[in-house]
Amino acid sequence: MSTHHTPLYRDTPLILSVSGVTKAFDGFKAIDDLNFYLEEGELRTIIGPNGAGKSTFMDIITGRTRPDVGSVTMHEKDGRDYNLAKLREFEINRRGIGRKFQTPSIYKSHTVYDNLILSLNKKRGVFATLFYRESREDRERIMEVLKTVRLDTRANDLAGMLSHGQKQWLEIGMLLAQDPRLLLIDEPAAGMSDEETERTGELLMSLENKHSLIVIEHDMEFIRQIARKVTVLHQGHVLKEGSFESVKADPEVIQVYLGRQGKRAENN
Amino acid sequence: MIPHFFFLGCSGKSTVKQWICLLITAAIMTSAASARDARTVMAELMQAERAEQAGLIEELSTYGDTIIADIYEAWRTGGIYLLEQDTGSQLLQFTDAQEWALVHNGAVITLSEAEAAAAKKQRPARALRKQMKRIIDTLGLKADNTALRIDSAIKLGRSQKAEFIPALEARLKVETDKQVLSALQEALAISRLANGEDAQVVEAVQTLKALNSVAARAFLEELMQAEGDNEHADNSLSDACAEALISIERHMKQQEFFGSFFRGFSTGSVLLIVSFGLAITFGLMGVINMAHGEFVAIGGYVTFLVQNFFIQTWGLSSSAFGWYFIVALPVSFIVAAVIGLIMEVSIIRFLYRRPLESLLCTWGISMVMQQGFRLIFGAANVQVNNPTWLMGNLSFAGFQMSYTRLLIILIALVVVALTWLLLRQTNLGLHIRAVMQNRHMASSLGVPVARVNRMTFALGCGLAALGGAVLSQIGNVGPSMGQAYIVDSFMVVVTGSVGNLLGAGLSAMGIGLVDQLLQPSLGPVMGKITVFVVIILFLQWRPGGLFPTLSRSLDD
Amino acid sequence: MKFSTEMKKEMGILCLVTGLLMLIPLFNAVGPESGPLSVSAFQVSLWGKYLTYAVLAMSLNLLWGYTGLLCLCQSLFFALGGYAMGMYLMLMIGERGAYKSVLPDFMVFLGYQKLPLHWEPFYNFAFTVGAVLWVPGLLAFVFGFLAFRSRIKGVYFSILTQALTYAACLMFFRNDFTFGGNNGFTDFKDILGCNINSDATIRGLFIATTALMVCTYLITSGLLASKLGKVQQAIRDSENRVLFSGYSTTSFKLMIFVLSAMIAGAAGALYVPQVGGINPSAMEAAKSLEVVVWVAVGGRGTKWGPVIGAILVNFIKSYTTHAFPDYWLIIMGGMFVCVVLFMPDGIVGVYKQAKSYFARQRSLETTAA
Repeated sequence: MSTHHTPLYRDTPLILSVSGVTKAFDGFKAIDDLNFYLEEGELRTIIGPNGAGKSTFMDIITGRTRPDVGSVTMHEKDGRDYNLAKLREFEINRRGIGRKFQTPSIYKSHTVYDNLILSLNKKRGVFATLFYRESREDRERIMEVLKTVRLDTRANDLAGMLSHGQKQWLEIGMLLAQDPRLLLIDEPAAGMSDEETERTGELLMSLENKHSLIVIEHDMEFIRQIARKVTVLHQGHVLKEGSFESVKADPEVIQVYLGRQGKRAENN
Repeated sequence: MIPHFFFLGCSGKSTVKQWICLLITAAIMTSAASARDARTVMAELMQAERAEQAGLIEELSTYGDTIIADIYEAWRTGGIYLLEQDTGSQLLQFTDAQEWALVHNGAVITLSEAEAAAAKKQRPARALRKQMKRIIDTLGLKADNTALRIDSAIKLGRSQKAEFIPALEARLKVETDKQVLSALQEALAISRLANGEDAQVVEAVQTLKALNSVAARAFLEELMQAEGDNEHADNSLSDACAEALISIERHMKQQEFFGSFFRGFSTGSVLLIVSFGLAITFGLMGVINMAHGEFVAIGGYVTFLVQNFFIQTWGLSSSAFGWYFIVALPVSFIVAAVIGLIMEVSIIRFLYRRPLESLLCTWGISMVMQQGFRLIFGAANVQVNNPTWLMGNLSFAGFQMSYTRLLIILIALVVVALTWLLLRQTNLGLHIRAVMQNRHMASSLGVPVARVNRMTFALGCGLAALGGAVLSQIGNVGPSMGQAYIVDSFMVVVTGSVGNLLGAGLSAMGIGLVDQLLQPSLGPVMGKITVFVVIILFLQWRPGGLFPTLSRSLDD
Repeated sequence: MKFSTEMKKEMGILCLVTGLLMLIPLFNAVGPESGPLSVSAFQVSLWGKYLTYAVLAMSLNLLWGYTGLLCLCQSLFFALGGYAMGMYLMLMIGERGAYKSVLPDFMVFLGYQKLPLHWEPFYNFAFTVGAVLWVPGLLAFVFGFLAFRSRIKGVYFSILTQALTYAACLMFFRNDFTFGGNNGFTDFKDILGCNINSDATIRGLFIATTALMVCTYLITSGLLASKLGKVQQAIRDSENRVLFSGYSTTSFKLMIFVLSAMIAGAAGALYVPQVGGINPSAMEAAKSLEVVVWVAVGGRGTKWGPVIGAILVNFIKSYTTHAFPDYWLIIMGGMFVCVVLFMPDGIVGVYKQAKSYFARQRSLETTAA
């Protein structure tokens, strides 16, 4: 299996720079002097043992958590920069950052179709939504997304009735409907069958270059499938960055992963 | 003729008034039992020859018994009769047509119509009346009860009559109680402001300043006024007065502040006990118990029942009665815990992790319980008496702290310690914490979740009742007594972060203190509203309360 | 505009209900004096009162049923609207009060020399109608802004709204708050120049209340049909997802909260003239919970559930408080517990369950045959 479809380092403009970010909870540093840069159109995979700060990292980008120190900057195509640390969640989302959560979060008492209507990249003010009328383009866009996530036959079913894997896809579909510049995807393969996992991998790879993506995953097989450049987080900072193969062979990374298992084995 | 006591006739209904009457009468009886008491001397005095009377009055002046004033009043107004019979003569105090009290021992006898007609009215001589009046005015100085002695001294002092000065001085020499001593000094100084020589007056002002006498303020102001009007006098006296007044005023302010602080602390303690229960059911279990206030009321009512049981078994005046409150604490805890257990098993266990539904359901239960209290105990408040050992104040550096409130603070500390021990040091506590953190995980690891829920809920209800028992000592016990505390308790839990007992403790104290400190200046209503606004603003700054819990899942 | 069959059916039901309700004043006006078809003025105002309760329940349903915000200050908004209308009605008494003064009786009693400044504009009916809406609306806006901004939700929101009601209730009980203390307002004479106790006025008020209910119904359906209604229900399901889809949930919740407060205020304003008075007990925390009971009994998150619940519960209340005064609270509390435990979707929910049950039975029978 080939892992190097594209060269690792490309000379494209950055979309996101995270520099010197620290976040502590009750003295425990979940993120510790983290530096992270993402290029436009890049697919980046983040791995790391439990408690490495992966989810907190996403929380910081999406405005769910505010960093204690450091800056999180999003670079617009026209050259303007936004400090994400100053914006609220919905404002960050409107700048084009979508997030899929670890446990699927969808509107279970709405139909699949309505879930996507709510996610479309339209004006989202109170009065804009009150007077919103669905256009033909909107409908076509939704049908297109539904086809992509293979839920076109279930458009009128309540989202709460979907299987776990389908819910994961619906949530990804909701991100796509929004057409964000940057997608943050937390453990997309969790709870999916092998076949579903593989299809998810294909879907993510097809998004590459059109969108920038950050994917958090545990499933090594899945990572092997999608990985371009991999960032290893450990104790809140970047331990290693590089291709999947090089990271996998790195003794420090092995130490971090296996060392814990080794210790656990000793304890038992 | 069957001698019987006044109060036996009213034993049917045990209303509190009658119990109190019983208490007083019993007290009189006990002192009547001692050899050669005030009654005997009074009786002798009435029949004595002129020559002996002086000696008897002298003897009478050593007694502090309030009965002297009663009998003297009757004597003076023609309520004492002499009945001469073949068996001997008796002095009688008229109470009503049938019942007469024997002067020498207070026993009640019934007279036939003929006997009543034969009884002759007695009147004291004018000189005797004057002498007796002096004894009666200074009677309180010799009372057994220190509080009565203090009251009497202050009253005599405030009258500023020169004739009382010797009595006060005499008492000052023999008095041993510190508080009474300072009251006597205060009284003497106030008296001397009006009656003393110039030097004595200045000294009196100094004394009053040193004593921080609140009672003397008006007199000092008066004196200052008079000195100011007097053009010939130098300013030293009025200056001294002004100085003393400032000092007293400052002391009063301090005392007021300390009083509010202390009250706030004890109010906070009640709030703490109540909200600990709430924090456990609400925070640890995700169940909002709107009936929590009714468990507080259960605590109050159980205390009431225990009190009645003690009165019926041992009587109000017995030394056993004082213990009722101590017994009521665990009893109310257990009763409420059992009721809570029943409620958990029958209703609450269907509502875990459905906070809004649990709120509605328990509110329904609260309505049923409140109406239940009304049907059982009546809509009016019931009377819970403080045990005598809880009456009175502890004086500390000139500040007064009531024993009741001190005890409440102590109980709160014990409750905090016990809860902490329970949660941190016992198996049940370990289970409670496990269930609180992850219900499903705990259950799959073999924690008996259903049992833990039952115990936790029972514990929460028990703590509420404990709060109610404590509350019965400083507040009313009635069907809606819990309602007043429930809103505050919820605020405590929200402010102190849900499920965090340390937070609940701190915010209970904080809210109690702020509430009491604001009350003197803003009044109770505006004080409460201000506290509420402060909490809303506090939550703007810290939305999760004092110690927010961190969660990884999106929808918590 | 084109209507789907669903909507046509809905409008049909709405027209039917309105028509039936209109029979009440009609029979009062032209019906017989006695017999089963006679409707007394007392009954008209009683049903008018039930309808204001129904509107109040609908306003709560908008918040609790569709947005998931269990608000325990609905009775406060209701009472604020009522007090605003009450101020107008008090001023309309003029010099016919017990003290023959221009000032309302309680002010004379408390020794006021002249009307407080904030009372002046209430001589104007138009201003009063405005105040009925903006006073509760403003309170909801300020409180909602603070609460939603700091992400207070779920049970915390309920508790804080309850505390707000409690605080406001304490204020209104005070005499120096210029709203009549614990006696509140009463002894009204006129509204818009008509005698408040005349049959015609009572019928007019009833019709106005019905109109308010129809309006509220239309607003609710309009909202639910729009994308805003979808956002609203999405907030109920997963507020954070809505936030991470780029909606400012604070503004949405705030808008619904203010709207709901205004509807409750309007209901309160129509309640006061029909009942003939208002006092602070109308805003006690328990009253708000009662509104929650109506909605829960009828079925939350359904369009007619709150109306059914409000009328039914109050009907039972009128009966039991009369027949078993001591047991009313116990019955109501028990009813509440049962509804939460056994009928989570209320009466409307039971109807739906029964319908689907019978439908299933029928299909089984057809297959068997």
